[in-house]
Order: sequence, then structure tokens, then C-alpha cells
Amino acid sequence: MQLNPSLVAERYAATRSATAPQPGLGAEARLGQAADSFAQTLRTSEETAMAAMTSGADPHALVQALTQTELAVETAVTVRNKVVEAYQEILRMPV
Amino acid sequence: MNSLSDALLVASSGMEAQSARLRHVAENIANTDTPGYRRKLITFQTEMLRRDAPAAVATGPIRLDQTDLEEIYDPSNPLADDTGHYDGSNVNLLVEIADAREASRSYEANLKMFEQVRQMSSALIDLLRR
Repeated sequence: MQLNPSLVAERYAATRSATAPQPGLGAEARLGQAADSFAQTLRTSEETAMAAMTSGADPHALVQALTQTELAVETAVTVRNKVVEAYQEILRMPV
Repeated sequence: MNSLSDALLVASSGMEAQSARLRHVAENIANTDTPGYRRKLITFQTEMLRRDAPAAVATGPIRLDQTDLEEIYDPSNPLADDTGHYDGSNVNLLVEIADAREASRSYEANLKMFEQVRQMSSALIDLLRR
């Protein structure tokens, strides 16, 4: 079977959009927004880091972006740990 | 954005402004012996990108010090006039060093603020780890 690259890329894009958070007003939407803003922080920091390395952009902006990313990652990891912990707590419940 | 990350932004803008000030001090000191050089004075102004944005600091337009240039007596200099004098620069090294020291102290203060905010954020997140 021969694979058409453009068709594969199209299928891949279609699958990706299925995993994107749906805009809405519930708790899930807010979680999606949080994830979006987290990804945005990471992207900004990456861009600033690249600009600082390649074109000698301001190092203060670099440090600020990296610190903000560090705090964001720390928050995300801590929240995830807390969620996993709560899930395990439920699993341990005697039935 | 929460107020802690806003504080990080403001502290980093302060550091940026102070480093710009130090750059102009370096320019003034480097041009001490340049004939006709007027020392640069830096200005600071509050910068608010939005109405509810934090008040960060930014450097304003550069002004030139309009005090009289130093008259140097040297008849052999090609710039000298009939009386044997030519205009030097109006840079006073003592003032420049004092300015540099002030910039350095202000930078340190902003750095401390940055560290403090970071420490507070980490401490808050640490609460969840228990």
C-alpha cells in the first residue's frame, strides 16, 4: 500500500484537533484554558531564550521568562501529583 | 497574570533600566577626553502597556548636559583657536562614578525583589506538597 504524504499529514492534523480543548464554560473549559496559558508561558520562554542566544536580546527578559516558566512547571507538576494522589486515595477505599 | 508574576516583570524592567543607565555612564567615561563631548543624562519614565497593567519602568529620551565645556589650553592642538584654547568635554569623573555606584545599588535592590518574589511563589507551591 502506498502512502500519500499530504494525506497522512491531513489525517494527522485531523487527529490533533480532536485532542484540542473544546471552548466552553464548564470546569473542563477552565482546565483547558489553564493548560493553554501554561503552554503559552513555555512558548514565550523558548522564544526569548532563542532570541537571547542568537541575536543577543536582553538577558533580563530571558531570566524573567525562565523564572516564570520554572514556577509554572513547578505548579503544574505539583497539581498533577496532588491529583494522582487523590485518585490513589479513592482506589484504596474499602468497598 | 497574577500579581506575583507581574512583580517579576516589574523587577526585571527595573534591572533593564539600570543597566541602560550604566551603559550611558560608560559612554560618558569613555568620552572624557573627546573634544566637544557633552555628557548624556538618562531619564526614566513609568511604562504601562495597558490600563490595569503593572507600572514598569522604562528609559526615556536621552538629554545632553548643557553646562559649559571645559576650556583646555594647548596651542599645539589643531582644534585650538587664536588664544590657544579648545573645548574639551564636560564630563566630571567623580559625578560619573557616583552615578555608576547608584545604578549598581538600584540594580541590587531590583535583584533582591526578584529573588523575594520567586521565593514567595515557591513557598506557596510547596504548601501543596505536604
